[in-house]
Amino acid sequence: MSTSAVAFRAGQFEDAGGMRSEEMILNMGPQHPSTHGVLRLVLTLDGETVVQCTPVIGYLHRGMEKIFENRPYMAGIRYIDNADYLSPMINETLYAQTVEQLMGIEAPRRAQYIRLIVSEMERIASHLVAIGTYGLDLGATTPILWCFRDREQILDMFEAVSGHRFTHNYMRVGGVLQDLPQGWMQTCERFIDNFVNKSLPELEELLTGNEIFDARTEGVGYIDPQQAVAFALTGPTLRGSGVPFDVRVDRPYGAYREIAVIPQVRQEGDCFARYRVKMDEMTESCRLIRLALDRLPGGSICQRTPIALRPQRGETYASVESARGEESIYMISDGSEYPYRAKIRAPSFNNLQILPELLRGNKIGDVIAILGSIDIVLGDVDR
Amino acid sequence: MNDVVLNIIHFLITFLFSLGFLMTAATILTYLERKVQAYMQDRYGPLHNGPAGILQSPFDVVKLLLKEDMKVTKADSIVFRVAPVIFFAPVITAFVVLPFSPYLTAGALGTGIIYYVALSSIDVIGVFMAGWGSNNKYALIGGLRATAQMISYELPLVLAIVGPVMLTSLLAPDCLHNASLASCGIGSISFSQIVSAQMQSAAPWFWFALVQPLGLIVYYICGLAETNRAPFDLPEAESELVAGYLTEYSGLRWAMFFLGEYGNMTIVSAIATSLFLGGWSGPGASIGFWSGLFGATGFGGFAAQVIFNAFGVFWFVFKMSVLLLVFMWIRATLPRLRADQLMRFAWLFLIPLTLVNILITGLILLLPIGLIPQLIVSGVVNWAMLLIVIFGFRRLTGVSPTGKLPRWIQQSASGRNGVKAPTGGRPAGRPASALGAPATGPGAIVESGARR
Repeated sequence: MSTSAVAFRAGQFEDAGGMRSEEMILNMGPQHPSTHGVLRLVLTLDGETVVQCTPVIGYLHRGMEKIFENRPYMAGIRYIDNADYLSPMINETLYAQTVEQLMGIEAPRRAQYIRLIVSEMERIASHLVAIGTYGLDLGATTPILWCFRDREQILDMFEAVSGHRFTHNYMRVGGVLQDLPQGWMQTCERFIDNFVNKSLPELEELLTGNEIFDARTEGVGYIDPQQAVAFALTGPTLRGSGVPFDVRVDRPYGAYREIAVIPQVRQEGDCFARYRVKMDEMTESCRLIRLALDRLPGGSICQRTPIALRPQRGETYASVESARGEESIYMISDGSEYPYRAKIRAPSFNNLQILPELLRGNKIGDVIAILGSIDIVLGDVDR
Repeated sequence: MNDVVLNIIHFLITFLFSLGFLMTAATILTYLERKVQAYMQDRYGPLHNGPAGILQSPFDVVKLLLKEDMKVTKADSIVFRVAPVIFFAPVITAFVVLPFSPYLTAGALGTGIIYYVALSSIDVIGVFMAGWGSNNKYALIGGLRATAQMISYELPLVLAIVGPVMLTSLLAPDCLHNASLASCGIGSISFSQIVSAQMQSAAPWFWFALVQPLGLIVYYICGLAETNRAPFDLPEAESELVAGYLTEYSGLRWAMFFLGEYGNMTIVSAIATSLFLGGWSGPGASIGFWSGLFGATGFGGFAAQVIFNAFGVFWFVFKMSVLLLVFMWIRATLPRLRADQLMRFAWLFLIPLTLVNILITGLILLLPIGLIPQLIVSGVVNWAMLLIVIFGFRRLTGVSPTGKLPRWIQQSASGRNGVKAPTGGRPAGRPASALGAPATGPGAIVESGARR
């Protein structure tokens, strides 16, 4: 969208005494410390109160869906890493699953369990970033560093598994790239123990009980359940409003068919509820990882697939629960080596749409509090 | 040597000491802040310039001095340039009245407190000019916020200082010997007299914090707000307003704001030290002991004076540093308040609290029960008030110290407040349960009490 096509006009008012007042238009972003990337919010302000908010997106558009059309199926995995750059493992799982569905094959059980383990660890890592930056948005400087300290360990483990810390390129159509290295499971268990028993309570103590944190988040940015469903919100933002929808539960995929997930739901619908859901989901993820490590089956990690993947003509839709909600791909194959079309349904994009509704009538300080609580990743919004 | 020369020497020494102290304190504080915060956050902080990174702050200062002097083309040139000066000048000037030790008190003003309060309110003008002159929307909002905030917190700050002044009226020299109301009742607003009132011969460590802990806490909170420190750093809230009124500043002008902020922190801590923590009193800071050791006259007397003053400065700076560390501790711990919560906290919480404190202290000081019982009763009552405020206030009244309103105010305020109601019938604030509506529908709303 070209930004000049949107006309932003500030209203002018005159009260009975002849005092003139004017609304102010404030461009928040794309270079702003806390718009979580390159989101631009055009705020019309009446004093400190937001009258209208227009998010302008597209600053991080990389034409990802078009790139998929020009690359062999396998090469797409490397690109979808960068869509939601805070949860690449989950994106890769999604892409691999989509192509597998298209080809009518299924990954071996061990590979599915490994996918579950790394996905849940990625969820923890992503929520850590979300909560850390949320603290930073509210002015607390310490949580982000504590969160990143723990996230580092997860990234280290990913490096051991895949060779990359961030854009892992670990999933393959039909399985995963390589098996878990020697001693990785013990490291993982140690991390989980330490995280659940030490780091998470520490973080809770710093934020949850804090009077100021409560005052900033409780009752702010209320989304009622009907509205949440109407805006097609998913993930912690939806579950924070009391709707118990989770792709892992409602449309289980991979190893989630064998390991039951308890969806974390809060009824309040405010920023605090969304924060709380993320905290609870981290505990839940730890439980899932422990279970999966216990039950990890043996066997092969990857099905043999031809070097050039040519799925038969057809279309498919697959979705996973990413850290931000339902991430899915709708993929059409025309029988060639390249996907005919791959459309990504990004949770951040859908969740962002409710922002103007939420911000109206709130103060500037709450703009950041609300934006941080719906936890978007601009790479996922713009793709 | 006659008195005039001695006075001039005295003034020069103290003035240079204050100025040097201010400059070095700001530089040391920036280093200390980074280091202390780093250790609280599980990292190292500055590490590479000099041993343990101690040269980082001097390097930063040099870098700031050497930077190009940038100015926005459309800024209001004069206002933009004068603002840092107006912000910084009162900081230096206010340092003059601080009683570092009996000798190092340059301006032994009889009206020290008034002088300090007056100067600390000049800062606002500099901040507002910076916000207005920058021709930047973030700076404007930041400047306006700062103005509102500093003016609001000025009141409870001054009211919190009244407690110790009232105590000095009780401890005035005339009053001690002849405890009738006619001869006492005149307090002192001079810093050195307030400090010496905390060092009675009978009770050398009679710090006013023991009798007025509430005053100390309220003063300290207001000090946080006055200096725009976390959790009251809204004017420069980087997550909302980029850098607030500092957005367009760089180089030396920015450094002046920066030094001014740290100077203000130092002053707030120093005033708290001298009003509530006994100033320079402490082990070793007693002239009687040292002149007994070295003799009262000649070189021995001089040495005694020097050592005595050195101890005084040490204790003063030590207590001040403890308070400064609390500044840093708070910054590493707490999130930031919202603008309206901040104002509510000042007007609905701190100001009534300080007024009640003054009233109660005054009533107790009028009781005809003698000096010592008066002090004890006043101390006990004050501690009780402090504990009630910290632990029981929210439960008793529903008013939270962070600015959540009780229900009856919320309801009456939402009716007439200028805030535009959000469209679609959704409440902008609390979900329906807080407003008393029954929880219905698929998303039944749980009372917030059941949350944890």
